[in-house]
Amino acid sequence: MTNTWYLYLFFAVALVVAGLLGLLGRRNLIKLLIAIEVIGKGITLLLLATGYAKASLLTAQALVITYIVIEVSLVATAMALIINIYRESKSLDIRSLAKLKG
Amino acid sequence: MVLQTALLIGMVLFAVLAILLKDVLRSAIALAVASLLLGIVFFRMGAPYAGVFEISVVAGLITVLFILTIALTRKGDEVRESRLANWVFPLAFVAFVIIDALVMKGLIGKIPALAGGTETGTFGDILWKGRTLDLVGQIAVILAGVFAVLALFRKRDNHD
Repeated sequence: MTNTWYLYLFFAVALVVAGLLGLLGRRNLIKLLIAIEVIGKGITLLLLATGYAKASLLTAQALVITYIVIEVSLVATAMALIINIYRESKSLDIRSLAKLKG
Repeated sequence: MVLQTALLIGMVLFAVLAILLKDVLRSAIALAVASLLLGIVFFRMGAPYAGVFEISVVAGLITVLFILTIALTRKGDEVRESRLANWVFPLAFVAFVIIDALVMKGLIGKIPALAGGTETGTFGDILWKGRTLDLVGQIAVILAGVFAVLALFRKRDNHD
């Protein structure tokens, strides 16, 4: 693999770990979704960097576009869930979900 | 290469800011800036289609969705984050970045480069003709997302 690929791998791993730390430490539901987005950015960067290093950039771009479309679907569903949770519990705190009965 | 590295550093900084900032609106805007920088990195790598999607959809549409949700849930903004996490996150991240740099430096040249496949045709051929089954799955995911949002915002019946 080329040295450029290692540079991209370094930043991609840093993004994924930043997102994971955010997921572990935050309590606001919107912040948790932002952390998931940051992990997604790391994955996208690594996909395209590998395509770049392997000279198959077109396939990598097709995969990235697929991922972005799925990401929008995920965010729309998660936002709808968050708004409904807010209507039920009047809070965005993840700990308030533990009090739900049912 | 220097500009590319600077863009990547800026992107990671804005992504970390998006997680660290207390105000959710500022977090969403920091995430949009990170997406914008990632889109520029894609353009510079020679991937214009991925760059256009990253800037228009992720930096544009998803940010609008975030801001809409923040506006709809404005009163629930005061979530008390744990103080321990506020201290631990930057320290753990900096420690990890140092380990990450050392590991990557040690790995250089050790991962064997497998032969890459040769690509023929245009981007359109690869996107539409090479991935027919994927596209069916993608359409199913979009429909599932639409139905999920419709189901969540459905008006409740009186007898519920």
